[in-house]
Amino acid sequence: MSAPTEDEVPNPLEAEGSSEAPSNAVHIAPKKKEPPPESPESIRLRSLVIASFWAIIILVGLPIWWRTTTIYRASLPMDQMMEWADGKACRPVFPLRISIEAESLQDHEAQHLLRTTQHALDDLNEFSAHHLRLQLSQPANASISITGLSAGVAEEEEVALTIRLLPGTTTQADLQAYSPILDIYYTPNQIPSSSSSASSLANYIANTLRGLFAEEQAMIAYLLSTSSAPPERSPKALSPDVAESLAKWTTRSMKYSRTYHITFSLFTPTATPSSWDIEAALEEHMKPLLASFSEISNFTIDTQVQLYATPGVSGNVLKKEDLSGFINAAEWPLSPSIGGAPTVNFILYVGDMEVEGGGKSWLIPQWGGVVIQSDMSDLRPAMLIFSNQLMSLLGAPEAGSLPLRLMTLVRVRSLGLLLKASGTMGSLARLTLNLPSISIPRSVADGVYTTISHLRKACDGLGGKEGLENARIAEEAAEKAFFEKSMVAMVYFPDEHKVAVYLPLLGPVGVPLVMGVLKEFKAWRKRRRESRLVS
Amino acid sequence: MRQLQSLLFVIGFFFLGTSASDYHEQLLLRPLHPSLLLASFNFQSNTSWESFEQQNFRYFPRSLGQILQHANTRELHLRFSLGRWDAESWGARPWGGAREGGTGVELWAWVEAETDEEANGRWLTLTNALSGLFCASLNFIDSTRTTRPVMSFQPSEGHANSTLENLHLLHGTLPREVVCTENLTPFLKLLPCKGKAGISSLLDGHKLFDASWQSMSIDVRPICAAGESDCQLQITQTIDMVLDIQRSKRPRDNPIPRPVPFEELKCDHSKPYNSHDTCYPLDTAAQEEGWSLSQIFGHSLKGSCPLATDGVDPVCINVPHARHVFTSNGAQEHKDPGGFLRCFGLASEGDFDITLPQQDISEKAPLEQPLLYAERSFIGYGQERGGVQAILTNPSPTQSVDFVYMESIPWFMKLYLHTLKAKINGLDKDVIQEMYYRPALDRKRGTQLEVRILIPANSTVVLTYDFEKAILRYTEYPPDANRGFDIAPAVITIGNVSIRTTSLLLPLPTPDFSMPYNVIILTSTVMALSFGFVFNLLVRRFVAVDEADQWDVRSVRLKIAAAARRLLLRFRKRAVVKKDQ
Repeated sequence: MSAPTEDEVPNPLEAEGSSEAPSNAVHIAPKKKEPPPESPESIRLRSLVIASFWAIIILVGLPIWWRTTTIYRASLPMDQMMEWADGKACRPVFPLRISIEAESLQDHEAQHLLRTTQHALDDLNEFSAHHLRLQLSQPANASISITGLSAGVAEEEEVALTIRLLPGTTTQADLQAYSPILDIYYTPNQIPSSSSSASSLANYIANTLRGLFAEEQAMIAYLLSTSSAPPERSPKALSPDVAESLAKWTTRSMKYSRTYHITFSLFTPTATPSSWDIEAALEEHMKPLLASFSEISNFTIDTQVQLYATPGVSGNVLKKEDLSGFINAAEWPLSPSIGGAPTVNFILYVGDMEVEGGGKSWLIPQWGGVVIQSDMSDLRPAMLIFSNQLMSLLGAPEAGSLPLRLMTLVRVRSLGLLLKASGTMGSLARLTLNLPSISIPRSVADGVYTTISHLRKACDGLGGKEGLENARIAEEAAEKAFFEKSMVAMVYFPDEHKVAVYLPLLGPVGVPLVMGVLKEFKAWRKRRRESRLVS
Repeated sequence: MRQLQSLLFVIGFFFLGTSASDYHEQLLLRPLHPSLLLASFNFQSNTSWESFEQQNFRYFPRSLGQILQHANTRELHLRFSLGRWDAESWGARPWGGAREGGTGVELWAWVEAETDEEANGRWLTLTNALSGLFCASLNFIDSTRTTRPVMSFQPSEGHANSTLENLHLLHGTLPREVVCTENLTPFLKLLPCKGKAGISSLLDGHKLFDASWQSMSIDVRPICAAGESDCQLQITQTIDMVLDIQRSKRPRDNPIPRPVPFEELKCDHSKPYNSHDTCYPLDTAAQEEGWSLSQIFGHSLKGSCPLATDGVDPVCINVPHARHVFTSNGAQEHKDPGGFLRCFGLASEGDFDITLPQQDISEKAPLEQPLLYAERSFIGYGQERGGVQAILTNPSPTQSVDFVYMESIPWFMKLYLHTLKAKINGLDKDVIQEMYYRPALDRKRGTQLEVRILIPANSTVVLTYDFEKAILRYTEYPPDANRGFDIAPAVITIGNVSIRTTSLLLPLPTPDFSMPYNVIILTSTVMALSFGFVFNLLVRRFVAVDEADQWDVRSVRLKIAAAARRLLLRFRKRAVVKKDQ
């Protein structure tokens, strides 16, 4: 009741303010009683209270907040990952061993021929990653190495090609179709004398070999040039034609997998024919080819018959641009197989259609092939086309005998997988650096270590089947780590969101805390000034 | 009754006797009252076990075969259903209820596996793959919706004894799933003739999902004719629907019902008030509605499917012989001696249509009486507790019925087993013969209840139990949580006949979904208030009122004004000095 109202207090102020000069206004203050001086104990107590509050906040609150809101980021071997991505960790080299069987030649003659041929080869080859090395095949009774190469290793490593030197009437080369053997016939006068440094036979062998492996070399060079490897690794610029055909090759071939699933489908626009003799045709034309692939990939096969299937385009002559729409994806039951294996689709369509220009079959990159045939009594032509399409879908080179093509496929696939896994490592490293707010679970780190160890093994054993297997494991682990679910599904909290959550608590709590410190600090300064004045 | 037996015999003959043929299809039309038509489509194809193992598919769909092999599934039953079968006026269900499921999607399969965990893994593979194939949310059949029924389902007889030991039966339901056109399209793709020819050409999503009741089913089961050497795998696809004839006859571009024109009204002229503007409609029960296939299904049948070479007539209609039935040219009519069934053989080319004109006829094809009437509903009130009541009536005056009643209840509906009571004709009597109960685990699995009951002739059993409603976590509520939670239908099995009740809609206490922010704000405010109070008490110094520093807005204002004036003064002085210079 007796407390002064707000109106009463400022009244004297106004009176004074209006009568006195404005410059004095600062000094105007209500006359008030000074509170009794505080005891030093209470001042100390108050400072201790404030200090303890702040201590709890800093020592307990902040760590808890930090622990509960921090995102788990497993540490990744960034340097190693970037090294792999930049191609510094591995220098892909393919030393191909080529064995020469020359039973008709004298020992020193053969050795001399080997040396001159190797010289000629080295002169021709300017691409260091792909290297052909010759060796003399060991006779069955010889126990010591007769070549200058380390024979112990050579025994373990596979021989890419065996050259059989046979005396003949004309010089000619003959590549055997079903085994990696090259027969070279020579005329007796071509045997180099030990004094001459070059011979026509050596040059002939070198040129033949070079021709055989030209496509593989180009493939490897192309893979290296499209990767992020240092430019000196892919020395020669590929000619535009070759580069274009190789670009088509990469877009055409399917991703490497240990198992492929092949679906053979008979599509017919009417109700006939409702059956086909596919089992026998597969047994005769497809199974042998697939068996020869068994060391690279396995295959599972299924077949189906689909009636009343209309293609996505109409007309009897299909234009080039129609071909992509021929597969009626909405209606034809070609759903991808379940399970891990990618599906290769081969479609036999019953009809009289023709592609512009006369063809009756075409290949759909990374998907499969289509053959149009009106007569179902003989499936052989269709099966042969499918075999060819399968070879090119799997990425095998076009020239050469089957064993050579398969071996080339192993080497090219290993390199491709190696480069892909390395690239994925680099992407993962960059992703980790660029997005500091995503979590990196332990499984990703494990995947990265698996990838790197298998990449190392693959790089050391490049060219063999071991290398392919290791590269495949590395690539799988890399993809799995990169597409880790909990990492990709990044929890995104915008800043406004955070403010909205924190502010209701931190605002009302923080203001008294900060004001308490400020006030105490001011009072402390004032006391010090006063004590200095007194002294 | 004799006619009925002959009809059943004919259907049974088609059903069982066609296992030797590779493909078979049949449509059976049966008018129901009032002015409804039941259309039952049946498609059946067989494949030899060897060609299935080698994955050479001809009539068996490859997409489904691959899934079955990948998931080691030996027998599969998949159902998509919509609507309610009105047993009181429509009689017994088609196929004895064996080809229908509860509302939504129902799936059960026998999976071959060594252990339960392996079976669960394969079941997961199966549901995920089927979900992709049929565009249905089958992948939501998780462990909480999966049960392993003990008494209700039996595997078919075709399994080899060696596999029979390792078979695991798993059963899942999705009562919330809305069956629609996107499920029909993959269903038709599985058929060899794909809806392009044969009876499947009549199927159209617009008509099928406009039906009063419809059910699609897929059954894959092994059949062994002689020992284990000669085994086949059979896939049976059926679609049953009850169409409203008047509704189906409306043109699609003008679907709004309109009153009958005055000239076509049939009035009772004997009424005294009958005049040109007053009409008492005559009872039209004796009059059969006129309809034709093309009116009901939107288009006529496009020839026969050439793969069905077993000589069975593809279209049958179950009407008395006195009823006029006109067909298009080229069809051969075969009348069943029973008097109520006629079948038609189709020409391979050309459209086929059946027309039944409007006809005054009192004779009707007899309806088969169901073995049991079943209905189920919620009782009780409130947000906490509730109850379920199932009324099961045996209409037969002479035969008692022994059946298994199965419920799979979600975990958030917590059943009190001690409240399970069965009353027969209003009296407490022990009718429960046998019971299998597997209690729920929160968020892991649902309750499974199977009860074997014997109902004496001409009696009604009322089965009741109480339950408690659980409170779910914030994230466990589905979208549109206020609609309620669908509870799967109960399955009643009487030998080969099965009956399903309707699904139930359970309202659960639903939170306010803007809750998290409210909670943050409220708790923060409370914490900040108490904190500020305590902190100020500890830190502030308490003095008398007149000793305290006065906080006065006006003094602050004066201070600011004075400072501004001082600045201005200094500035002016500087200007004056400059001028002097």
